Amino acid sequence: MTENIQIAQQNIYKPAIMKIVGRHDEAPGVRTMRLEFQDPADHEQFKKTYRTGMFGLYGVYGEGESTFCVASPETRKEYIECTFRQSGRVTSALANADIGDLVTFRGPYGNRFPIEEFHGKNLLFISGGIALPPTRSVIWSCLDQREKFGKVTIVYGARTVADLVYKHELEEWQERADVDLVLTVDPGGESPDWKHRVGFVPTVLEEAAPSPDNCIAVICGPPIMIKFTLISLKKLGFDEANVYTTLENRMKCGVGKCGRCNVGSVYVCKEGPVFTAAEVSRMPAADL
Amino acid sequence: MTRILFSDKLDNCVAKWRSAGLTVIGPVQEEAISRYAAVEKGTDLSFGTVLPDRSLKELFFPQTEPMTSYTIKKNEIETTDFTPPQGKRIIFGTRACDASGLAIDDPLFGWDYKDEFWFQRRNESVIVTIACTKSDDFCMCTSLKLAPDSTKGADVLLRPIVKNKGWIVEELTERGREAFAIISEYLLESPEPAIPTVIVPEKFNLDTCVAWLQNPENFDSKFWKEISMRCIGCASCTYLCPTCHCFDIQDEGDTYSGIRRKNWDSCSFALFTMHTSGHNPRSTQSARWRQRIMHKFNYFPGKFSVNSCSGCGRCSRQCPVDMGITETLQEISKL
Repeated sequence: MTENIQIAQQNIYKPAIMKIVGRHDEAPGVRTMRLEFQDPADHEQFKKTYRTGMFGLYGVYGEGESTFCVASPETRKEYIECTFRQSGRVTSALANADIGDLVTFRGPYGNRFPIEEFHGKNLLFISGGIALPPTRSVIWSCLDQREKFGKVTIVYGARTVADLVYKHELEEWQERADVDLVLTVDPGGESPDWKHRVGFVPTVLEEAAPSPDNCIAVICGPPIMIKFTLISLKKLGFDEANVYTTLENRMKCGVGKCGRCNVGSVYVCKEGPVFTAAEVSRMPAADL
Repeated sequence: MTRILFSDKLDNCVAKWRSAGLTVIGPVQEEAISRYAAVEKGTDLSFGTVLPDRSLKELFFPQTEPMTSYTIKKNEIETTDFTPPQGKRIIFGTRACDASGLAIDDPLFGWDYKDEFWFQRRNESVIVTIACTKSDDFCMCTSLKLAPDSTKGADVLLRPIVKNKGWIVEELTERGREAFAIISEYLLESPEPAIPTVIVPEKFNLDTCVAWLQNPENFDSKFWKEISMRCIGCASCTYLCPTCHCFDIQDEGDTYSGIRRKNWDSCSFALFTMHTSGHNPRSTQSARWRQRIMHKFNYFPGKFSVNSCSGCGRCSRQCPVDMGITETLQEISKL
């Protein structure tokens, strides 16, 4: 190599410092935190680049970094919200952090939901358990400019009533006349006062039978839910090109170097995490 | 007239380069293993082995590397950026496969987000490749359409002359010319003949293998299970590989101060892709070995137009259970 390759004048692995300004317990072991940038330059950069669907690496110095979506929508860029289940070293450290504590954030990385392409269309959001956060980011991006979209239907399920996240927002969506919310819990997960559906998401979706006409579907959930929901959507007549999902693979660098998020030739961190079902069906199924 | 660097002048050259501020690095024999390391004298360099046990990669992408450090005080985090060690260096006596490995990984470290840890070192290194005059059963550069005297990634190519008295010097880049200008007084014009470059027999037909890998039907072939059955997932192949670049990011320290590091990782490990939920996209060793082969010969070239393999053969040479890329591709070409 004769020419010097131009080096970005910054360390791409250096995170921004964020202050925890709010936190909320969503479900047993699941917490939402609201974070604010400490350096205005980092915040400006975020405001310039963040679009719904992108993700970040959230960290606690001394413990490491973990990848989650940015759960707050592109229509609200004054802060970042993330929702996570306490399960490992980093998420435990995050869960133990208090309001006022400082954590780290790298991002936003990845691609986005092409929300302007959804204008004028009906929207169907389908989500399971802890996968509501990425869907919620799209839901609010659309509800914050409600007039641009047609009918909005949300189908959300969890194993048990306690496991439903964003309960306060579910109530809000329930009360809105311009949102059709279908809630369900897995059989056996209902409480005595549960007034909504009981059944797995794909079954409940088929019963609700939303029309595929002029409709975009966004589905996020555990791999097994996605697998069966895609089958249900096909039955309902949805075109794979109108169905969006996010692949939540394990990541470390977030910038296409470290190699672990690859599915086939796809670097999920750079070409994803948002894909259409048509794109996912071209990936090797065994590696998903 | 060809210019020759006689090996008895190597000591003087090393001293010259060092006094000009360059760190001199080359193949050295350290007790049980050979690798590329910094030397103080020309006589510390050892050119006897076919190629060092460890690849050149670690000089650009170390096994572990600090990226940021942190000190946590009350309501404040102080962070320091680490930058890769500054300073020019000359790497004297790389093998063509190792130098090619650097060029192969450049696009990966450079697409979109540029990894300065890699490129700082790339920009400050002069690579002097010595053409191979011997090979062993594991060498397979020719099977990868490279050669024992490939100039890929090199700034200067040296061809050994008879009786190993020295090397014919072929400067390839401006950076190479500048480095050799420093030692020009030791370069003598002389009509010495070069030892012929070793002939490395082709071990498999790459095009046949790639066509097989690109056929989606073969993704679920039982071949993958059979070929990888004896893989113990030790990751030696990925660590010794001049092009494998997967890493992990870990913090070393406590709640108050420490260092965030980039550490080598490997697609051979089950934990590499394991989700928090317990779901693992590549849950078997055969899926992981398939990923490694597919990534090197199908996915990586699809993205960066180059195979992620330079044919050094270390993966096979040092595999504890005698399987590696060579064996796998040889089997594929028979399918």
